[in-house]
Amino acid sequence: MDPITFSIIRHRLFRIVDEAVITLKHVSGSAITNEGHDLMVSLYRADGSLLMGGVGFLHHLTSAAEACKATIRRFGDDIDEGDVFLLNDPYTAALHTSDIYLVAPIHYRGELVAWSACFVHVYDIGATNPGGFCPDAPDIFTEGFSSPGIRLVSGGRVNQDVMDTMLNMVRSPEMVALDMSSMIACNNVARERMLALIGKYGHETVDEACRTLIAQSEELLRERLRELPNGSWQSRQYIDVKGEVFKVNLTMTKRDDRLIFDFSGSSPQAPYAINCTKWASLGGLFAPLFPLLCFDITWNEGVVRPIEMIAPEGSIVNCTRPAPVSVATVGAIQSVNNAACAAIGKMLDASDKYASEATAVWHANHFAVFMFGRNQHGGEAIGILTETFAGSGGARNFADGIDVGGEIPNPISRMANVETLETIFPLRYLFRRRMKDSGGPGRYRGGAGMEIGLTPHDSPDGGLHYVVSGKGADFPMSEGLAGGYPGAPNSYIWVKNNEAEADPRNTDAGFGQAVDDLPGDQERVSWGVFPLMGEDVLYVRWNGGGGYGDPLDREPDTVLEDCRTGAVSRETAENVYGVVIDESMSAFDPAATEARRKALAAARIPAEAAE
Amino acid sequence: MSRRLSTTLEIEGGEIRCRKCARALGPGGAPWKQNAAMTEIPMRGAAGVPYSGGERVVLRRFACPGCGALLDSETALPEDPFLDDVLFD
Repeated sequence: MDPITFSIIRHRLFRIVDEAVITLKHVSGSAITNEGHDLMVSLYRADGSLLMGGVGFLHHLTSAAEACKATIRRFGDDIDEGDVFLLNDPYTAALHTSDIYLVAPIHYRGELVAWSACFVHVYDIGATNPGGFCPDAPDIFTEGFSSPGIRLVSGGRVNQDVMDTMLNMVRSPEMVALDMSSMIACNNVARERMLALIGKYGHETVDEACRTLIAQSEELLRERLRELPNGSWQSRQYIDVKGEVFKVNLTMTKRDDRLIFDFSGSSPQAPYAINCTKWASLGGLFAPLFPLLCFDITWNEGVVRPIEMIAPEGSIVNCTRPAPVSVATVGAIQSVNNAACAAIGKMLDASDKYASEATAVWHANHFAVFMFGRNQHGGEAIGILTETFAGSGGARNFADGIDVGGEIPNPISRMANVETLETIFPLRYLFRRRMKDSGGPGRYRGGAGMEIGLTPHDSPDGGLHYVVSGKGADFPMSEGLAGGYPGAPNSYIWVKNNEAEADPRNTDAGFGQAVDDLPGDQERVSWGVFPLMGEDVLYVRWNGGGGYGDPLDREPDTVLEDCRTGAVSRETAENVYGVVIDESMSAFDPAATEARRKALAAARIPAEAAE
Repeated sequence: MSRRLSTTLEIEGGEIRCRKCARALGPGGAPWKQNAAMTEIPMRGAAGVPYSGGERVVLRRFACPGCGALLDSETALPEDPFLDDVLFD
């Protein structure tokens, strides 16, 4: 087709998704959506296949395609203009029940021509724990409202009975209603703009452009794969739940223009809600694949075709109903995308042409702390600490990872201001800052994570509670590349102040600036529901990004600058980077540094290997 | 004609070699880590205070036995196998 028209239509499709995302953010009232950007909007073909992947959490792009297809299978010919369907069953297509898909058919002159789909993590889903993450849920039945497909809007009118039934099962129904409204509005905008595009260029032309776009993406990705070396690369991710260890093992094999992700050898499904379904795993591996291999290719069905996934049934990456999955997005799904990111990074690093696209693993352990309780305004507050989206960048072969640099699976992730969170929750931030020594050492350093300290403030109930889940604090997960170290692991500490006047340790936490300076007993936590009352403090530290290359190859001047800016300690500079820096951090000692680096390199060679 | 295996390794003359000192690490197309100098250190404290994870977690460092260049690293439990990366012929 005419390349100018094709290009215009392609860009209009991008803009349709962009405008729908803006709508979603502006209508939603919850910080997780409009501050953290835990959302996604995309366009799909009439058969439900991906047409134009949007931004937000990328593991939803393929899962929402499956949601469209499941809706087509369920409702068949009974899909009409102006309908909107809700789907959040993880065993049908969704990632976990809290991430609700609203999928909407787009009809042109009575014919189904496309779908729009979006998701947000709703304010609440009626699960055992507020916010939807249920660390101790024994099965899917305790993880809240779940639908394999229900018509929420008929011909442009909300089915109020359906809406009210759902809202009757959740906490803070007014906020969930706003979530629903934001997604309906988002789909309305996508439909209107899509129809305007078709109205201007004609259905046949737009349809041809869409087919061409998918074929183009497939050809471009296959061409790229043919340019990359044939081989297999392995990666492994660990999950710790209360001392039990679960593994996600990946062998990624590339031959010619095919790429196979084989998760054989991963742990059997867990009794904990870290499991994920096969659609979630597929989405999990695509989340890094889209930006790392398709950075200049439109994300659509064409990208999906050359990819194959092997995920053994009954495993942690393809669990069977009714296994619990509410923690999946910060559990096995994130492990899948970390493992895929690591393997893709190694494959790119094996290519002279594409090595500069390789990256160590970014922010690999969401901490997903959900706070809940009555707030200072007398309302019920439920919500995530959006810092979990702040992330940390993995290092590349030409640059450090970005400090607090977000994450690969969500190109628009971010955290809310301290003031926003203090307005929502009865909390006071004691500190929130970049964490020293958290970025994985390497020739290029992984981006730093952060640390925060929170204490109750102005709470009508003396405090509130929080849910902590994810993958634990035992393992680093942001793996390094080409010898780079992994970023530091997460840490969660509950500083318990017993508030006994006789105990000399107990003074007002005030604005204590370091976790060890805070009064009270420290308890490491990582799984469950905990109180944060009185003068207690919750300390959270999150992982840095992985490093790239040998730390002994990092420029000494750069290490010195790291020390001056607080990114690296003098001890780590000397013990890991081999750079000897004076106490005032004004200079490094060249001779001592050379000697130290020689000694550190020699210590890596056991006597028997040196022979 | 050499083939790149990673930033730190290449295949030259049918052998995997350190890119810094050309030390051979076994035949191309096969796993190489068992031929590297491997040190396993506790992850706890491996690179500063934030490395505060589980006691059993280790950092495996695979270095060139010739020059000590760090070729690869991996997080592991001691009983877990090496992660192998192989280029096909």
